[in-house]
Amino acid sequence: MHPATSPTAGTPAEPHHRTPAPRRRFLRGLVAAAVAVPLMFGAAACGDDDAGAGGQIKLSIFWWGGEARAKLTEDALALYTKKHPNVTFEKTWQANQGYFDKLATLTAGGNPPDLFQIDDNYLSEYAGRSTVLDLKSYQDSGKLDVSKFPKSLLEYGVVDGKLAGVASGENTQGLVYNKTLLTSNGLPEPTTGQSWEEHIAWAEQVARKTKIPGTQDPSADYKAFWVWLRQQGKDLYNGKDLGFTAEDVTKWFELWKGARDRGATPTPDVIHEGNASDVTKQLVVTGKAATSWVWVNQMPDLKKNTKDELGVVAYPGDPSAQWARASMYWSVFKSSKHRDTAVDVINFLANDPEAAALLGTDRGLPSNMDLRAKVSETVTDPAMKQSIQVETELAQKFGTSPQVPIKGHSKVKSELVKAAENVQYKRATPAQAAEQFIAACKSAIA
Amino acid sequence: MALTTAPGRTGRTGSARPHANRRRGGRDRHAEGLAGYVFLSPWLIGLMGVTAIPMLLSLWLSFTNYDILTPLSEVQWVGLANYERMFTADPSYWHAVRVTLTFALVAVPLKLAAALGVALLLNKAWRGVGLFRALFYLPSLLGGSVALAIVWVNMFNRDGAFNSFLALFGIEGLPWVSDPDWALQTLMVLAIWQFGAPMVIFLAGLKQVPTELYEAASVDGAGRFRQFWHVTLPMLSPVIFFNLVLETINGFQGFTAAFVLSNGTGGPVDSTLMYTLKLYISGFTDLEMGYASAMAWVFLIAIGLITVVFFSTGRFWVHYSDGEK
Repeated sequence: MHPATSPTAGTPAEPHHRTPAPRRRFLRGLVAAAVAVPLMFGAAACGDDDAGAGGQIKLSIFWWGGEARAKLTEDALALYTKKHPNVTFEKTWQANQGYFDKLATLTAGGNPPDLFQIDDNYLSEYAGRSTVLDLKSYQDSGKLDVSKFPKSLLEYGVVDGKLAGVASGENTQGLVYNKTLLTSNGLPEPTTGQSWEEHIAWAEQVARKTKIPGTQDPSADYKAFWVWLRQQGKDLYNGKDLGFTAEDVTKWFELWKGARDRGATPTPDVIHEGNASDVTKQLVVTGKAATSWVWVNQMPDLKKNTKDELGVVAYPGDPSAQWARASMYWSVFKSSKHRDTAVDVINFLANDPEAAALLGTDRGLPSNMDLRAKVSETVTDPAMKQSIQVETELAQKFGTSPQVPIKGHSKVKSELVKAAENVQYKRATPAQAAEQFIAACKSAIA
Repeated sequence: MALTTAPGRTGRTGSARPHANRRRGGRDRHAEGLAGYVFLSPWLIGLMGVTAIPMLLSLWLSFTNYDILTPLSEVQWVGLANYERMFTADPSYWHAVRVTLTFALVAVPLKLAAALGVALLLNKAWRGVGLFRALFYLPSLLGGSVALAIVWVNMFNRDGAFNSFLALFGIEGLPWVSDPDWALQTLMVLAIWQFGAPMVIFLAGLKQVPTELYEAASVDGAGRFRQFWHVTLPMLSPVIFFNLVLETINGFQGFTAAFVLSNGTGGPVDSTLMYTLKLYISGFTDLEMGYASAMAWVFLIAIGLITVVFFSTGRFWVHYSDGEK
């Protein structure tokens, strides 16, 4: 076809092509300038928001979660693009396992996302190494509106006086139990405010009657240990130090050794299975225990994995030991070229009514109290409704937030698992395990 | 015997002749060498960029406090501190060394024994032997795959397939993968089960053993066992050596299955904390990449030393049929 068309189409074009060479040179120069000028401005504008040609900004954003979360988040981000057509997103998400490996590697490679999700395990690690942007100035200038946040929730994002992360949702510890199992056996449901002894006695009763252990043994679970410590007037951390002693750990391990001896908990290997953080492996949904120690906002996810009805209450003891915990945060990389935009996106996700409606309670209860009230009115999922209700009730009783866990926290968590399992498998006495645990923690946070 | 080896000898000298002719001109040889490097260049560039440079970088990092998040330009030189800590102040490091040694010492010999045993069976000419060879080789095609490890963990759970099988005989199984006394053994069995690769190499080796040797041995009145001991094993010793070196290195580097079984923690109670897993946890979970780099270098040197030991003892028991020792 080409040879046939070219003589006819080409000939009239020929004279046109031969028109003044200067003009062609001019056009070429114009193109070059169009390319070069933004580049120069770009280099000059280093530090401020660095918009590409036509003010286009492509913001990279990275989070962990499942498909449902991806869908909600993508919808909310699309809404932002609709309102700010010059901002588009480069979205990356994956499962929690491996997320922090990747985030660290991206950072090391000098190619970190502008905006990313982080949790209290790693917030201090990142903040302490000045890899995240201090959002304080944005808060002061009003570009980041956190006035509707509960004060303790906001403070739980402050590390060494810097606002390192903005809570993308709130949660708190929740004891989830199998309601169907209890009612069909005529057993009472656990209640908020029960003592630890009462809880263990109740679990033993459940085990006797149903042949299913009443409660997962949470001695390896840092969040249960943490609540218990706070009820003893201690804490997980105190400044750059541990907030507890070997005696505290020994008492904690002995409490649960007693529970195991009474048959209130499963056998060590089943406890080990339930220690995995995976929602699908929680004993309350696998049917291997009547109770699991989780976060309140995990209720809807747990419900998806079982046919039984579930209920949720606070951990045993005084509920004022619990606090408004940021289930996860949004943080901005310090070296981001689009930091202003990234902060604006955080502001949007937290405070825009439409965005909040889209996001629901997937990352925890909305941090903005006004929007939380609205969202809870419209929720239809019964499991979600229940978790909101329980957390709202608990919110009246919450104590002050502890400090954000310090550097080395993830190691402290895994050492607690090791120490507790050593006791469960009878490889160490509570006192021996406690001592080893303290030594390991000290080297981890040093 | 002399007759059978003679054609081989002449064949070798025949093939050497054109090679000698080519050695005439130095320039030709140089050009040939250059051409060789040109053809090698994709691999060489890969070796330099993907292996050599990062390796040297990690050697440097092993003397620093690099934590991944801090830019490389800001890391601090800490001298031998990482090595000191590893050898004197980190009990879980030595624990990982113990776990890895136990794993390699048990799994590697058993895997080689299984590979040799099955290779001997499959070396016979009977119907359907090809199918069996393929079937036995299959597990190692799946190699270090994550999927296989997941299947394995589920098979050896308390309510897994293996325990259901045991229940048929009225035996109550254990929670193999979540019991610290058994988790490592479960991993060993998985490693042994994947004996296909050394098995195929053994099979090839067995095919090389001249049948006249067996004929001669049986004429001399040697039974099956003596034939195996005095003919098969010596003739096979280079192949055994090869497999031993390779599988030992593989065994030390086992990671995937331990990672999957323990969710990346080395649990239950550090029972599956293989060296590589400890290294991974130090580097990526604890963000101590300098320390992890030091561990990697000690590991490299240790494996190098073990290989040297193999090679230096090899001359006492590896028998090369052409008479060279």
